[in-house]
Amino acid sequence: MSIVEFKDVTRIYTNGEHEQKALDGVNLSLDEGKFIVILGPSGAGKSTLLNMLGGLDSPTSGTIKVNGKDISTLNGNELADYRASTVGFVFQFYNLIPTLTVYENVALVKEISKDALDAKKMLDEVGLADHMQNFPSELSGGEQQRVSIARALAKNPKILLCDEPTGALDSETGVLVLKLLLSMARNYGKTIVVVTHNQNIAKMADVVIRVKNGKIKSCEEQAVPMSADEVEW
Amino acid sequence: MLGRKLIRTAWRYKSQFISMIIMIAIGVGVFLGFNIEWSSIEADTSTFFEDTNYADYRLYSETGFSQEDIEAVQDIEGVDAATRYLSVNMDVKDTKNSLSMNVSENYTVSTMLIMEGADYDEDSEGIWLSDRYAKENKIAVGDTLTVTYSGIEIGGEVAGLVKSGEMMICVADENQLMPDYETFGFAYISPKKLEDSLGMAFYPQINVRSDMEKAELEEAVKDALGKTILVTDKETHVAYAGAKSEAEEGKTMGSILPVLFLAIAILTMITTMHRIAANEKVQIGTLKALGFRDRRILRHYTSYGFVIGLMGTALGVALGYGIAALIISPTGMMSTYFDIPAWDLVMPGFCWPLIALTVALLTLISYFSVKKMLKGTAADALRPYAPKAMKKSILEKIPVWNKLAFGTRWNIRDIIRHKSRSAMTLVGVIGCMLLLVGGLGMKDTMAGFMELLDTDISNYKTKINLVETAENSEIEELAESVNGDWVASTGISYEGKTVTLEVYHPDNHKIRFVDEENELMELSDDGVYLCLRLADTAKIGDTIEFSPYGSEETYRVCVAGYLRSIMTESIVMTEAYAESVGVTYHIGSIFTDEPIDDIEDSALISGKQDKDMIMETYDSFMEIMNLMVLIFVLAAVVLGVVVLYNLGVMSYVERSRELATLKVLGFRDKQIGKLLISQNIWLTVIGVLIGLPSGVGVLYILITSLVSEYELKLTMGVLTYSVSILLTFGVSLAVGFMVARKNKQIDMVEALKGAE
Repeated sequence: MSIVEFKDVTRIYTNGEHEQKALDGVNLSLDEGKFIVILGPSGAGKSTLLNMLGGLDSPTSGTIKVNGKDISTLNGNELADYRASTVGFVFQFYNLIPTLTVYENVALVKEISKDALDAKKMLDEVGLADHMQNFPSELSGGEQQRVSIARALAKNPKILLCDEPTGALDSETGVLVLKLLLSMARNYGKTIVVVTHNQNIAKMADVVIRVKNGKIKSCEEQAVPMSADEVEW
Repeated sequence: MLGRKLIRTAWRYKSQFISMIIMIAIGVGVFLGFNIEWSSIEADTSTFFEDTNYADYRLYSETGFSQEDIEAVQDIEGVDAATRYLSVNMDVKDTKNSLSMNVSENYTVSTMLIMEGADYDEDSEGIWLSDRYAKENKIAVGDTLTVTYSGIEIGGEVAGLVKSGEMMICVADENQLMPDYETFGFAYISPKKLEDSLGMAFYPQINVRSDMEKAELEEAVKDALGKTILVTDKETHVAYAGAKSEAEEGKTMGSILPVLFLAIAILTMITTMHRIAANEKVQIGTLKALGFRDRRILRHYTSYGFVIGLMGTALGVALGYGIAALIISPTGMMSTYFDIPAWDLVMPGFCWPLIALTVALLTLISYFSVKKMLKGTAADALRPYAPKAMKKSILEKIPVWNKLAFGTRWNIRDIIRHKSRSAMTLVGVIGCMLLLVGGLGMKDTMAGFMELLDTDISNYKTKINLVETAENSEIEELAESVNGDWVASTGISYEGKTVTLEVYHPDNHKIRFVDEENELMELSDDGVYLCLRLADTAKIGDTIEFSPYGSEETYRVCVAGYLRSIMTESIVMTEAYAESVGVTYHIGSIFTDEPIDDIEDSALISGKQDKDMIMETYDSFMEIMNLMVLIFVLAAVVLGVVVLYNLGVMSYVERSRELATLKVLGFRDKQIGKLLISQNIWLTVIGVLIGLPSGVGVLYILITSLVSEYELKLTMGVLTYSVSILLTFGVSLAVGFMVARKNKQIDMVEALKGAE
């Protein structure tokens, strides 16, 4: 069953007199519960795709349906509510609030999501129960990214969106974080969309979508994805 | 090339640059405004005094000075010039107006400046009239004017329109605060005309120009005339004292207010320049990596501070002259008080170096901000500026901490993390509060003072002024016939100072007295009352000594209490106590409830004043007060808006990444706005809590610095408190909303790019 439906989605950025087509008539359908990797070189439009899906940006034309609902015409507040209820983000640079403790960063989502999960439990699951009272600046990059994963999942979203989640980490930590991300998502039955230019991550995916020049180049299903332990880079 | 970058970068930070320029301009402007004000007062009045041969000393004798007396005084070595002088209030016929009629026998001291019409001529029958009075009453040269004095009419043609140093502050007596040229003016006539009209020459005053010390002159006069004479120096004369105290007030204002503004301007500069330098760190590193020398980069960034300083001070100089001109000009605020011919603006000499110093300081601030960013290798400089890591504060050890809402915890930590920014916001709020409380409180205090004078102290309808030659017995009879009370004032020497001894007949309560708390009090017949300014000189129950001028007697009296004497520095006693200690006096005025028109003219009466008309003369004073309050309120609002907006934008920029994260998580714009505004509110609450008592404190200092002139009681109405608090919160909230509105424009995608 498809949870995400892109139909003729185009996004044009105007910068002065210069127009740039970041997405050019994208049609896409993503199935629920899958691990989807969007692969492409920088500037291909993969982040734009993710931002559209995450409700951070709206298409210039075309429609995006998530969970049966058209999100391409929502206003600012409706989009905020959509982000709060439907999607969770994990960023390359973690984006934790520096003035809130680890626990508070995760518990924060209770303020916006009605069916938020328990922050302590989430942190326990990512293995940071001992660091709950620390500030983000006191943690390593891998630990910070784990907090960010806990925060994204605590909202109990339908879809987890990750923009280069291992981009700022060394390969060893990166693998650990990916492993955690995958197992958590599978446990909670979430759809994960990861945007990356790292070919190796693609090996672990159920579905690999390749993007180039704002268009979908290919969309392949991998019947037997590699496990995280086997992946190296 | 770097020059072009300078302009583009300035444009990028335009709101910061503009707010810094405004702050500096206001700081420098207020500083110069008040300093130009007082130095102009000093310069303009002293030129005028010189031009009209203003007397350095005045000798008084109730019985008048004879021809021999003036000759003896003129012969004193060290006396440059002396004249017998008369200055007496006379009614203008067929009007309710009166004039101070002046006669200077030997026209070398206390002369006039002819503004229009004929020069002074001692043989002339003409009247030289105050040009301001003439203008208000539409009198021109050539018109005739008649005045009455103790039943005698003195009339003549207006020969010229004049100004005089003696009458620079044209008030009827010490109870009139501000001149009112519509009802009271002054005029000069020749001694010959005075003698022709009155049938005699009576001069109770000798005006002297001399560089001698007061004690020296007193001694010389005593030797020359064979008796002690009341000698007053110009420090106690209304014109000189008024000019001096206005200048002193300007000096006080010029040192308190500008310090506040300049301090805020400099602090704003420090935080903002640091912020800009931190933002530009990568660019600074790039320039360094490109091979620019540190010095060149430093010069480039330092020039921001220099340019801001230069533009700010240039605007400030213009603003300063503007503020000064608002006060010192023919139609300015001071013109309602002083009557002088020239209103030139004079900047004190120390101002230019101080302005240069301000620019230098601002340049230095930007120099050091950039210097910090240039430290280390080019690679270090290329790395973006990293704010300090978060640490737990002591506050978090408090058990209730964990019960606080996220927003609250977040805001408290943010305040602690960005200490200088928070401190600046506080200073802005405190400054805003301080100005509001100071300005509005000043108005309350003055209004309270008027109220006290009008309803509590002056419980009469009409004040009758009596001629110097009238006998006490005749006056008492008159007072009794109008159910009046009376006062006799004499100059006395007490503790080496000249103060006024006031003997009252207070039985009808036409004049009442108030204590330190402004509560009405009764005078007892067992001793004297010292005004609050003299309260330090003796305790209740002490015996003090004083001696009246013009007599050899020394009186020993008991201190029965203190009272608030709002204007004169005085020792007060009742008629009964005066008689019991044998003090002699001459009654000067009667206070009665009889309407002015029901009191028959008589040879005893030199003039009559309606209390409401006396009180009206305070109107122009209150108008000035209102204008001052308006300036204070405007300054407060400008200060609050500029400082808070600048910091709000900075805070917003610094937190844009956090705010973008919240937005991505699904927080609505409104929720984020609330978070931003609540920080403002927190700081505003703290600022108000500090600013309110500080404002009262500053006001107290201002009022006590005026104590030599008046005895004011600090009064603050509920309205002042509430308006100050509400306005401060209003400013803070309005700015908060202005900044919070910006968070709609946060580009989530853009803000989340790049490293922490």
